[in-house]
Order: sequence, then structure tokens, then C-alpha cells
Amino acid sequence: MTKASNTLFALLTGATALTALPAMAATLTVARGVDADGLDPQQVSTTQSSQITNLMFDTLVTLDASGEAHPGLAESWEISDDNLSYAFTIREGLTCHDGSAFTPEDVVFTFDRARDPETKNPRLAQYGPIESVTTEGNVVTVTMTEPYGPLMSYLGSFSIPMMCQGSVTADGGFEPVGTGPFKLVEWSRNDHITLAANDAYQNFNPLIENPGRPYVDELKLVVIPEAVARMAALRSGEVDLAEPSLEEAALLDSDPAFKVYSADLSGQQVLTAFTWKIPPLDNPDVRRAIGMGLDRDSYAMIAYEGLVSPTTCPAAPGLIGVDLEKCAEWGVSYDPDAARAILEGLGYTQDSPLEVKLSVHALPGFDQMHQMMQQNLAEIGVQAELETREVAAFFDHMSQENMRTEGTPVVWTMGYSGVDSDYMTTMWKTPGFVNMGLGGEMDAMLDEQRTLTGDARVEKLQEIQKILLEEGYAVPLVSPGWNWLWASSDKIDGFKTGFVASILFNDVKIAE
Amino acid sequence: MTDTTTNHRPRRLPAALRQWNIAVGALILGIVVLAAILAPWIAPYDPFKMASGPRLTGPSAAHWFGTDELGRDLFSRVLLGARLSLGIGFAAVAVGLLFGVTFGMIIAFCPERVKALLLRIVDVVYSFPDTLLALALVAFMGPGVENATIAIAISLIPFYARVTYGLAAVERAKPYVEAAQIAQAAPARIMRIQVLPNILQSLIVIGSIGFSSAILSAAGLSFLGLGVQPPSPEWGSILASGRNYISRAPWILIFPGLAICLTVLSFNLIGDGIRDLTDPKSRRRRS
Amino acid sequence: MLFYVARRLLTAFITILVVVILAGVLIHVVPGDPITAMLAQSGSADADDIARLTAQYGLDQPVWKQALLYAGNALQGDLGTTIRGGEPVAELLLDRLPNTIALAVAGLGTALVLGIPMGFIAAVNRGRAADFAVMLIAILGVSIPGFWMGLTFIQVFSLHLGWFPVAGTSARNIVLPALTLGVVHSALVARMTRSALVDILNEDYIRTARARGLREHQVLLVHAMRPAMISVVTVVGLVFAHLLGGQVITENVFSWNGIGRLAIQAMLQRDYPLVQGFIVIFATSIVLVTTALDLLYGLLDPRVRRR
Repeated sequence: MTKASNTLFALLTGATALTALPAMAATLTVARGVDADGLDPQQVSTTQSSQITNLMFDTLVTLDASGEAHPGLAESWEISDDNLSYAFTIREGLTCHDGSAFTPEDVVFTFDRARDPETKNPRLAQYGPIESVTTEGNVVTVTMTEPYGPLMSYLGSFSIPMMCQGSVTADGGFEPVGTGPFKLVEWSRNDHITLAANDAYQNFNPLIENPGRPYVDELKLVVIPEAVARMAALRSGEVDLAEPSLEEAALLDSDPAFKVYSADLSGQQVLTAFTWKIPPLDNPDVRRAIGMGLDRDSYAMIAYEGLVSPTTCPAAPGLIGVDLEKCAEWGVSYDPDAARAILEGLGYTQDSPLEVKLSVHALPGFDQMHQMMQQNLAEIGVQAELETREVAAFFDHMSQENMRTEGTPVVWTMGYSGVDSDYMTTMWKTPGFVNMGLGGEMDAMLDEQRTLTGDARVEKLQEIQKILLEEGYAVPLVSPGWNWLWASSDKIDGFKTGFVASILFNDVKIAE
Repeated sequence: MTDTTTNHRPRRLPAALRQWNIAVGALILGIVVLAAILAPWIAPYDPFKMASGPRLTGPSAAHWFGTDELGRDLFSRVLLGARLSLGIGFAAVAVGLLFGVTFGMIIAFCPERVKALLLRIVDVVYSFPDTLLALALVAFMGPGVENATIAIAISLIPFYARVTYGLAAVERAKPYVEAAQIAQAAPARIMRIQVLPNILQSLIVIGSIGFSSAILSAAGLSFLGLGVQPPSPEWGSILASGRNYISRAPWILIFPGLAICLTVLSFNLIGDGIRDLTDPKSRRRRS
Repeated sequence: MLFYVARRLLTAFITILVVVILAGVLIHVVPGDPITAMLAQSGSADADDIARLTAQYGLDQPVWKQALLYAGNALQGDLGTTIRGGEPVAELLLDRLPNTIALAVAGLGTALVLGIPMGFIAAVNRGRAADFAVMLIAILGVSIPGFWMGLTFIQVFSLHLGWFPVAGTSARNIVLPALTLGVVHSALVARMTRSALVDILNEDYIRTARARGLREHQVLLVHAMRPAMISVVTVVGLVFAHLLGGQVITENVFSWNGIGRLAIQAMLQRDYPLVQGFIVIFATSIVLVTTALDLLYGLLDPRVRRR
């Protein structure tokens, strides 16, 4: 309260509440629309949260641009022939933010805490079927009950970051203590997070050039929820880097005073799905006809200002087993005349259209894209009522809609991201993401791909995508498509984006 | 302030001048209502038709208000939007009045102790900003025209209940009501037959105040993406989906914004005017 | 007098209690579920996880039980922790309450600074063009959607003129949101000032003062304005209470770190403990403000006490 009343006093007397920064310290100010939900990497669920935890916590392995695993906190590893046991040799000479040495015990601590029910870890499923995590000397051995193909990808992403034991305080509270490039100075929820460069940092991430401590001294991430205000802050120089509104990103892209960055490794894309249990959407022909009505090239060009590309696969380009040409053959392409003919054959015409709901969540560019979709659908005899919800409410709503077997059918869209095509398992295996799971043969195939490696896994993943497309369960639209754009003034150099829309500041330099 | 004269003569003010605000308000409102009714016939283009040609073009002879991000004619959209905005306002006020007046009356006729508590609760709910209350309701019920209207109506209830209570309490203390109570008339009957007609005039005034706040709330909800869904051209929702074009195409924000301002202004002017005319003492009463 | 104060405080306490329990019940009755929403955003919503976490957060208990448990804890000052991030709710809200109060005070100040002169000009020019012009401007101010005005202010004063920062919570940042709120609420102040002054200017003692040959500005400022201000003060409490909660969208547009902005986020994410905590803190502030005002009136005017 004392601190609070001081703030009040300062505000009322007109004194500035900004603390003076040490002279010459290079501070990078970054504006985002949404704040982290928390700083505990084993409790957060949103991408916006992991973007922050990823700056404070490093991973056992790292991934290069092709998704290949490289050493990280583990300098090497060995995988047993039965794919059940992973032995990681932990690097020596690493230091945690609290000054203690990073040890194999910290790795065991991380896995144990992640699997403890008390932790309430929403990402536990991504850890896979772990049987035990043990340590001997410098080696940590993770043993699985069954093979788990995507493990290395997840270990290289912000889903499974390594914590130091100092993260849990004496009274059982949490403090973010990791080995990452930045350490926490201050967090005021929904307002700002201040991080300081970690002087002891050693980098192993192949996406980053700077081998040591980040060049900037301080990183301040502020929350500016209103996009108009965020853009004004960027243009006025109040912030150095910001999530742009889609509408202004196109303008900034052609302005030499600004730079626009797209998260090419995000593994993100937007696709259309269906409440396929509700007639007539239980008919693959109807789903495919609707897909033929959707003009994804126009969405990319008009709604997304040409900043994204149309895509054809149910998993994002660049991920394992994703082949856009093959997918194009299996899936549908824009052909409104053919779509109209199919639907007319089933009795749906302009005068007695198929009535559906077009259910979506609020995201930049979505409003425009869905209004265009609505018009596209009207042209093929489908009358779509557009419903937009905030993201949390939307997923909650879709979990219920996907359980229904009768009533008004729903055509819906979503953005999805991941570091491995395995996310199709989360989505399509029963019960699946918001209950969209398909069941039957599909469940078995998704389970099977997890146990495979190499070409066999690629083949299985493609078999899965073929079914999803031919049966019209998924109509991929554009990639990346959400939460993937950044803009900075031209004084900023070296900003990068990594996997799953992570943001990398190690190489950033600020020109005078 | 030195040039103020001492010989101003309030008595000489003609009633028409005192209703000056009513006249202006009614004129603006008349135009808006006319636009709403005639929208389908006078709109030069289909408000939903996306053009294949240039998007985001400024105001011109062909498109008076310019075109929006999908090449639709903004003038036609603002015209049709009048229907939605007025319709939501009207429905919300009607529902809000119905429940608010009922609650207010009941509180006025409650026993002393219960009344004090009920009033306090109404006060607390009333002090919740209407936008926030509506926002909470829509966040839980899901967006859309119906839910937004219901939420706005509910957010108006405490205001109407509070004012009705104030008016009814005054009436209740009057001899004729006491006489009826002594004659053991049912409270419901007293409320309906005796109190309601006497406070009706004042209720009309607060009705018009509610109208303006309902239209602003609807715009605010749409602005937060919780109100009317695109492509429906409700004014707030045009502003919401066009706001990021503030640098590239400011007309998308200017015209619907002006439409909201003028409509709300007309209701406020009328409300103010009626208040001046009918109830010169109302200003002494704390609501 | 003591009895009067005690009774007022008791009513205040019961009111808060009822609001807390009502909030606790209502929030669980409405459809929707924070766990599904949270898991969906992590991309791993399977039924086992949902059941596991729902139980861990105690959300599988009957509604009445949750509500009573909550009320019990709240009375002991424990508002729980947020579902997202597990932070203590009371601390989060109390940290931001001073910012919200500061903005409300600044908004109120602006409303008075704008509204009182407008009301004054209107009153002394009653019935003339200046009266209508000033009142039209005042009413126009209350007719502009706050978010629209806010965005325009940012565009003009921050971006093009560079006078004020766009976002943040500091003394320089308070100007634009306070102006936005002040413009909206100045109409009520102008109206009160005008009608109070018009009444007073018709009073006999004003005529007497004029007849005694006092200068006009003396009559207006000393004899008329002072008593008129007392009427204006009565609306101050009302405007302040409205400003406390009415700045939600303004806080959002100007990135002001207040409790309203936190509440919007909590509602959208269905973070029940945070939404409930907001209701409790907000309702308590309002009840305290109105009770304090009541007691003040009771002190000033003995007649009130008997009622």
C-alpha cells in the first residue's frame, strides 16, 4: 500500500513516476497488445506468455531453421535403439540468474516439477509419456514408456524450458530463475515487464549470432492493447519495436524509416474446419464444396495485405512431413462454379441456401477475411451468419459446438501453431482440440506417427494429411496468419523471430 | 465576464426559445429517423457489396463518404447503420424501462429496513459503469445484436430503478397515496393507477437520457468486438473494423463517428429541453 | 449521532456482503469455463487435462459452496489467486487502485475546470445566443463516444503534435485520458452550475446587493458563485463514483494501468477470482465513498439523521 500511495502522490503532485535510467544504458522498448498471463513456464498457456518465458529460460536442445536439433544446455545426447531412452550430457560452466551453477539436478528438478500435479501444468501433454528422469554424473536420462517421435522438437521449443532450482523460493513461491539471455527486473501485470541482460549468458541457438550477453542492457516490454495507440507509439519513437496492426504493416513495409518482420519459422497457419457431426456437413462432398468456394488467394492479398501466403496443408509449411504440392493435389482449390454445381445437386440454391454459422475469433485480419468468406459462400448457395468471439470465449464455445450432432452446422476457422507436425495429434485425435477429434482409424494413425522416426514418420504424417484433405475435414487457408508480425524503426538492427512466434533479442543493436 | 448586463429578463423568455434545444434535437433526430426508414430506397449502393475495384477511396461524387477496406460504399453503410443503432437503442430502453420502473416502484413501497438495503444494492450496481456491466454480460453470453441489446437493457435497469424510486417516493408521501393506503388498496394497484400516471412525464425524460447512453454503449461494445457482428453496418462496428485505417483512410472513422455524435446529441438536447420545461426543481434533487 | 453512524456502517457492510455473494453465484451460473479456455490457448485441450485442472482449481465443487467459501475468505481479506498466472488478486488490484483513483481525480478536476466556467457563462447570458452556444458545446462533449475522442486525441496530440506520450502510467500520460473523461463529464457540471446560478440570480438578496450598488463582478463571483458552488459540490460525489468505473475503455485506449483495464482482460479470459476480486474492490470503494458522503451530509444537516 505504501508503494501504491506513493504512486498516487506522485501522480497527483505532478512529479514524474518514471524512474531515471542509468546513463548510457541501451534500453529497447517493445510494445505488445497482450501481456503474459504469468512468468512460470510450467503454468502459462498462451504464446504471448511463452514469448516472455523464452527470454529467461533456455532449452536442452536448440533447433536450426530446418528444424534439426542442435546442442543447447545439453552438449550432446544419445537415443537408444528402441527410441525409449534419451541420455543428455549437460554442459558444464553454465550459470543461473541467481549466480548458482546450472547442474543436471536442475534438469531433473524441471521435469519433476512439470509432472507434479500441484504445478497445474497446462502443457503436460507435450512432455510425452515419460516414465522417469534420472541423473548420473553429467548425464540426465529421460525414459519413456513408449516411443515419442516429437520429443526433440518440443525440447527445442519454448514448451519445455529448463528451470533452475532457485525458481522455487523457500516459502514455495515462484521466481523466474533460468539460464536465458535476460533476467527479470520487474513485472507489473498487464502493463510492463522489465528485463535486464544476463552478463553470464552463453548462446547455443543456431538462429542467433551473438555468442554471449545480449547487446542491449535492458528490455522493456510494454502492453498497449489498442492497436491505433501502439502504432502511434511506434511512429512517434516512444517504442522501438511493436506488433503492428495489419492495416498499417503494409504502409510501414513500404516506408524506409521502418522495418517489418514476419515470423517465417512460426509454424503457424489458419485453416477452416467443420462441425462434421452435424448434417449436412457430415457429407465430405459438402465440406469439399464449401472449400472450393473459398478464395484463399484473395484473403492473402486483400485481408492480409499480401503479407501472408495461401497454403494447402493441414500443418504449417516448413514443419516435418509438410509438402505443399502433394497437399494441393489432395485438397480442393478455388472453383466456385464446381462448388455451386455440387451444392445445387444436393438441393442448395441461391433461393434455398444451406444455412450455416461462420464462427471465428477476434484476430487482426480476421474480420476482413471472414466478411470475404461470407460473400464467397453466398455465391455458392451457402448463407453464413458471422459470429466473432474473444479468443477464450471462442474456444470454450467451439468445445460445445463440436459435441453437437444436430442443429445449425458451423463452419469455423482457427489459427494454430507448433514446432512439429505432431500438433495434428493434439487437434484431430479424440477428444482433440476443442473436441474436434475424428476418432477411429485417424486416432490410430496419429498414435502411430508418434512412435516412428525419419522417413517412416514423414510417410505416416502425409497419409494423415491426405485423409484430412480428401475427406474435407480441413481446408487450409493462409500461413502464417496470426500473431506473427513485428515492426520496428530502422534504427533497430538484428531483431529475429524463432519457432512458434518466439522473439529473439540477443542480436539487437540500436543505432544512434 | 465584464460585459454581462444586469437587466436580463428571464420572465420574458418565450417558451419556444427555452425549447430551442428541443427544436434542434428533434430536427436532427427527425433526419436520422427518416434516413433509417428510407435507407433501403435512398442508399446509392448495396451496403454489403464488395467492390472488385479500388478500396479505401476518399469521398467523391460517386461515393459521398468514400469506400471502406473491402470497397463497400460507406454512405450506404452509414445510412443502413441508422436502423441498427436506433433499433438497439429503442429495444434496450423499452426493456430497461419496463424492469427499472417496476423495481423502482417496488422499492418505494417496501418496508423501511428492506428498502435501505435494496437501495444500497441498486446504488452499487448503478455505480458500475453501464459499459462495464454490459461488457461483462456480453463477455459471458457471447456477442451479437440480441445479447448486446439485452446487456445494455440490463445495464440501464439500475438507473431507471433509482430514478423511479426517487419519483415514486415523493408521490408516496403525498396525501392521496396515504389515503389510498388507509383505504387498504393493494400496493400494486396504487402503483399502477395512482403513482405511475403522475411520474410518467418524468419517466419520458429519463427515457431519452437512457437512449443516448444505450447508443453509446452499443457503439462501445461493438468497438471492443462484442456488439453487432460484421458485416452489419452498425456505426460502432464500422468504427471498430475501420479504426486501424485512421492514418490511411480517416473517413472510415469520421462519418460513422459523426453519425453517433449527432444522434446522441439530438437525444441529449431533447432530454435537456424537456427537463427545462417540465421539472424546474429536478435540479435540486440528487439522483 | 453515534447510533446513526453505526447504522450507516452496518448497512454498508451488509451491502458489500450481499454484493460479494451475488457476484460469486452469478459468475458461476453463466455458461463458460476458464479451464477449457485456458487449455485451448495452450493447444492441448484434452478431456483428462480439463478434468484434472478443473478439480485442482476447485471448480468442480457446487456453486453455492464455492460462493460461500469465497465470501468467507474475502471477509478475511483473502481474495484468492488468479487462474492465469496464480498471482494474489488483492495485491494486483490494490496496486492499480491508486492509478484508477488518480485518473478519476484528474478527470473530475478537468470536468470542473471546463464545466464551471461554461455553466457560469451560460447562466449570466441566460436566454441569449451565448447560453445556447455554450450549452450546445457542453452537450456535444457528452455525445461523443469516449473511445473515438481518445483515438483522435492520440492521433492529434501524441502523434502529430508530439505533446504527450501515447501510452503508460505517469504524470505526463494522465493529461489526455483526463481530458477525454473531463470533456465527457463537464456537461453535467456545466448544467448544475448554470441552473444553480440562475436560481440564485433571481434571489432577493442578489437584487439587494445590486441595489446597494455593488459591482457586477462582485455580485456574481462573491454573492452568487459561492452558494452556487455548494450545489455543484453535491454532484461531485456522483461524478467521481461514475469516473471510478466509467474509465474502463479510456484506460484501455490510453494503456493506463488501472483496475478497469485489468478487469476487461479478466472478463475476456474468464479468470473468475480476478473478476470477483474486481467486483469486491470496486463495490467496496463505491459503498465507502457514498457512506462517507452520507455521513458528511448527516454532519452538515441534522435533519438527515432522523430519516
